[in-house]
Amino acid sequence: MASTGALAAPPRVARMGTTASRSGESVIETALTEVDDGNISSGRSDPIRLSRLGPVLQVLASLLWLPQAGLLSLSIGSLAAGGTVGTVFWYASGVLLLGIARSVLAALGNRVAFKEARVALSQCRARAVGILASRSPLDPLRPASGLAASTLAEQAEAIVPYLSRFQPARLRATVVPLAILLSLLAYSWVAALVLLVAAPLIPIFMALVGWRAKAASEAQLAEMGGMNAFLLDRLRGLATIRALEAVEVTASRLRTNAENLRLRTMAVLRIAFLSSAVLELFAALGVAMVAVYVGFHLLGQLPFGAWGEKLSLGEGLFILLLAPAFFEPLRDLSAVWHDRAAGEAALDALRRLSEKGPELPGSETDQRPPTTAGYTASSVRIENLRFRYSPHGSLVFDGFNLGVASGEHIALLAPSGKGKSTLLALIAGLALPESGRILIGGEALSADNAARLRRNIAWIGQNPHVFAGTLSGNVTLGRPDIDRQAVRAAVNLAGLGEVAARRGPAPVGENGVGLSGGEALRLALARVIATPQAGLVLADEPTAHLDTITAGSITDALIAFARGRTLIVATHDPVLAARMDRVVDLTTMNPEGVA
Amino acid sequence: MRRLVRQLRPIAALFLSGNRAMLLAGTLLSVVTVLSGIALLGLSGWFITATGIAGLSVTTALAFDVFAPAAGIRFLALARTAARYGERLTTHDATLRILSDLRERLFRGWAVSGAAGELAKRPARLLFRLTLDIDALDSLYLRVLVPIAGALLVALASGIALGLMHPLLGLAVATLLIIAGIGIPVAAAMAARRPVQRRACALEVFRSQVIDLVAGQREWIMAGRLRARQESLAAVDRYLSGSDDALNRIETWSDAGFGIASALLLAATLVAMAFLVEAGSIGAPVAALGLMLALAALEPFGALRRGAIELGRTLLAAYRISPRLEDRGLAPVDIAPPPGAAVRLQDVAVRHPGTSAPALRNMTFSIRDGGRIALIGPSGAGKSTLLALIAGEIGVEAGRVECLKATLLTQRTELFQDSLRDNLRLADPQASDICLWDALDAAGLRRDVEALPAGLETLLGEGGHGLSGGQARRLALARLFLRATPLWLLDEPTEGLDGATARDVIDRLDARSAGRTMVIATHIRREAAIADRLAIMDRGTIIAVVRRGEPDFTDALDALRPD
Repeated sequence: MASTGALAAPPRVARMGTTASRSGESVIETALTEVDDGNISSGRSDPIRLSRLGPVLQVLASLLWLPQAGLLSLSIGSLAAGGTVGTVFWYASGVLLLGIARSVLAALGNRVAFKEARVALSQCRARAVGILASRSPLDPLRPASGLAASTLAEQAEAIVPYLSRFQPARLRATVVPLAILLSLLAYSWVAALVLLVAAPLIPIFMALVGWRAKAASEAQLAEMGGMNAFLLDRLRGLATIRALEAVEVTASRLRTNAENLRLRTMAVLRIAFLSSAVLELFAALGVAMVAVYVGFHLLGQLPFGAWGEKLSLGEGLFILLLAPAFFEPLRDLSAVWHDRAAGEAALDALRRLSEKGPELPGSETDQRPPTTAGYTASSVRIENLRFRYSPHGSLVFDGFNLGVASGEHIALLAPSGKGKSTLLALIAGLALPESGRILIGGEALSADNAARLRRNIAWIGQNPHVFAGTLSGNVTLGRPDIDRQAVRAAVNLAGLGEVAARRGPAPVGENGVGLSGGEALRLALARVIATPQAGLVLADEPTAHLDTITAGSITDALIAFARGRTLIVATHDPVLAARMDRVVDLTTMNPEGVA
Repeated sequence: MRRLVRQLRPIAALFLSGNRAMLLAGTLLSVVTVLSGIALLGLSGWFITATGIAGLSVTTALAFDVFAPAAGIRFLALARTAARYGERLTTHDATLRILSDLRERLFRGWAVSGAAGELAKRPARLLFRLTLDIDALDSLYLRVLVPIAGALLVALASGIALGLMHPLLGLAVATLLIIAGIGIPVAAAMAARRPVQRRACALEVFRSQVIDLVAGQREWIMAGRLRARQESLAAVDRYLSGSDDALNRIETWSDAGFGIASALLLAATLVAMAFLVEAGSIGAPVAALGLMLALAALEPFGALRRGAIELGRTLLAAYRISPRLEDRGLAPVDIAPPPGAAVRLQDVAVRHPGTSAPALRNMTFSIRDGGRIALIGPSGAGKSTLLALIAGEIGVEAGRVECLKATLLTQRTELFQDSLRDNLRLADPQASDICLWDALDAAGLRRDVEALPAGLETLLGEGGHGLSGGQARRLALARLFLRATPLWLLDEPTEGLDGATARDVIDRLDARSAGRTMVIATHIRREAAIADRLAIMDRGTIIAVVRRGEPDFTDALDALRPD
């Protein structure tokens, strides 16, 4: 399940083009969006708090360009008026110092914003992991592992650029153009007017070009992801493709698909880039018009616009230097627009992943049980059990009763889908029944004692999960009380000795690559054997899909371990069932079972 | 260093073998974009200063030619926009071409024998990594090659322009530009190499731990390790956060480095201009022009920053991908067996890479043409390895293999995200619809497909999603039936099917395989029962062969899993 799930996850789409294609939206939204209080909601319960410090530092850095530009234009003005190197030297020192201050402030602002955003990412991840871990394994709506992995690992990364770049860019786009406009206005209302007219024209033109591009480009990006999916799909079935001698056919198919996709993508990108070209064009024309106006004004041919006075050379240059800086924050904002879209999608996905479901009864406490050499077989008693998977689903058990004496070995026999596995899971305390009681060693199972009772239960399932890691790590599962000797003993008793010798410390994992089905079950058996304190052993179809020899040897090892313990086996293997003390046929005992 | 060159060679070849003219055009357009931006600023500065000085007296004001510079300013504004648009189109088109080429070549690289088997054993994580690697390569051209070429040419142009005012000034500025412009990204790339690779690694660990937490939740719960796993995930995230932070620090401070270098360049140019004006070699308008050049000259180098920081990741991707672009696989050894035989093995030994014990040893046996043999034995005995050997998927360590052309039906049903028709046609691209329906009929799937509204056009999901297990197996069977090869290799053909379906599938296989040689790897009685010989395997070799009719035959069958 893990292996296919991981591949089913949407692959990352190529980044290229996205920025441009989204920029159509950007300035429009800027004009419409009000700056809120700096909080981005990540679901009602847990808003992400970001301080204003980072964005403010970055705005200050941008504003330092004003005095820097002032000094530069003063220098040229002074040179034109016959100023000396001495004067200019002081101006130059000022330019240098302001430049250094600007860079350092921007860097500090960036760092602050990044650190806060990164902390927010860790919090989001921890929260989602916590909720995923605490959902009952019997909850059918639990997210698939592949989806969870893609969301938490790759997709969640998009939160950081969103939180760290978008907010400062938005603040800059709000404050800096305004500050520049006011500074210009002090000298020339014409220059200010030119920029003021150019700026709102940008969103209008970009809207015309951009809206069409946006919808198309979103579909297109999904297709780009589809390209990776196509490659993965074919690579996964490579054995078959080779067996059918279809390598050539598939390769040329891959090529044709990629070529068609490229043509369609370029068609979309042409429009998308056009929308950002509009932004650039207006910015460039705005600067050019300001430059030309100032030039003509200085020549005396356009004598108006400076509040009845004539601009000096220095003032003219100052206006020229500020004009591009007016458009720059707008361009930056449109560049981070994709970060925003990706970041919000990621927050959304995390929110869906963090939805609560039926909870696992009992939370683990940190204290480990003392390792005892001995164990006591526990009896199991089920009284009037009633259970269903979801509140409106059909009942799996209704008024079910069962008693198992301590030390007894029983088989639950039933065709698949009759609730065998569910019953084992309920005994293991993985979910609480709707009504009725389950007593283990005379103690009624509840949320309060589930975690403690589970410590003395060993469980073996038909599709054991093999974790990424070494074989011995897979036996201990990180339980600190199992030493190397215990692992070796468990491995040998489970019949894995030869495999362990063959593989050594080489990693196994992600659904047991390099382990056959039989070997994976032997591994699960070794995990059980490494739980010496268990008084109750639950086994869910331990011999399904195995050849008779392997099945026989696993049965032997299981029964050997369960000597003196209570053993409940769910199976439809008559050979295994025959070796138990008692066979309980669930079909007759639980006629309601219709899971 | 040599290793680095060796890793990059196949990738570089890929970039260069494509459309060189297009790559060059993209780079040139990016240079034009940056240069016209700088020229726009420079010309505007000169124009304002010159008009400012000319405007001081009425005569010079009237004599001043305003139209040429004004037109120049407008032209540059338009040229810059157009060049930028062209640049983006060309570079993105070129990148898309390269990536599509890369996907095809990678597929071919993996599709060679040997590599394909290795791929099948890979965990999903490594397959997923492959797509991330492909994506990581796109930054090589867009974020490294284009900006480097652009920035260097701009440095050269600025150096020449300022050199016209004073040769030493031009030389000094060009040198400073190149030292700071290349030095900062190189330093950033070197500093970022370790953290960026650590990050890629840690992200994979995080990913696989999430999968393990969700898919193996029951195991963790029963072992009482659920909380420990959460803590372990938090620790991996902290580690990730550490490398993220290191990368952000490098990025931020190299940004600041650019800013400071730029301020230094600006201040120094200003002082130099003052000297030149005082010496009378240039006037104030030219000084304004020079200052504007200095203002914009370092900007294109800033575009290198992202590419520099991702360079470590890009190189890692190149390192992992490039072997597959060069591997030609095993040379096919097609030695035909003598007439009357379908398979002949002599003293064959096979060893999987990286393992000490041989997977097959002392294998000597043959199958006559038209024979049906079942390979039985405990899992791990080498049944699937033997099939792969006969299919030509793996090579021998010792011995000699002779066999007819074979088609393998893999244990896992492998269907593709495609229409039913194209899934079938993989087996025979020339097959007519009549042939396809015939094969479906023989596999017992005709009625099911006829019931689908889209019929053969029905699209299957990823891995054949949308069909039941039995239907999927029958489709794989129909695909086998379309193959005219004389030898069929079947790996547990009915595993996972319910009894009735399984028996039906076996009957159909039995009927359709008349005249062909069949090798079936199995541990289920019903599958072995259609063979006329049973080869009992254990630990990599055949320990006994029993024929139908011999008393041991029934005993061996009875030892298998009933249904």
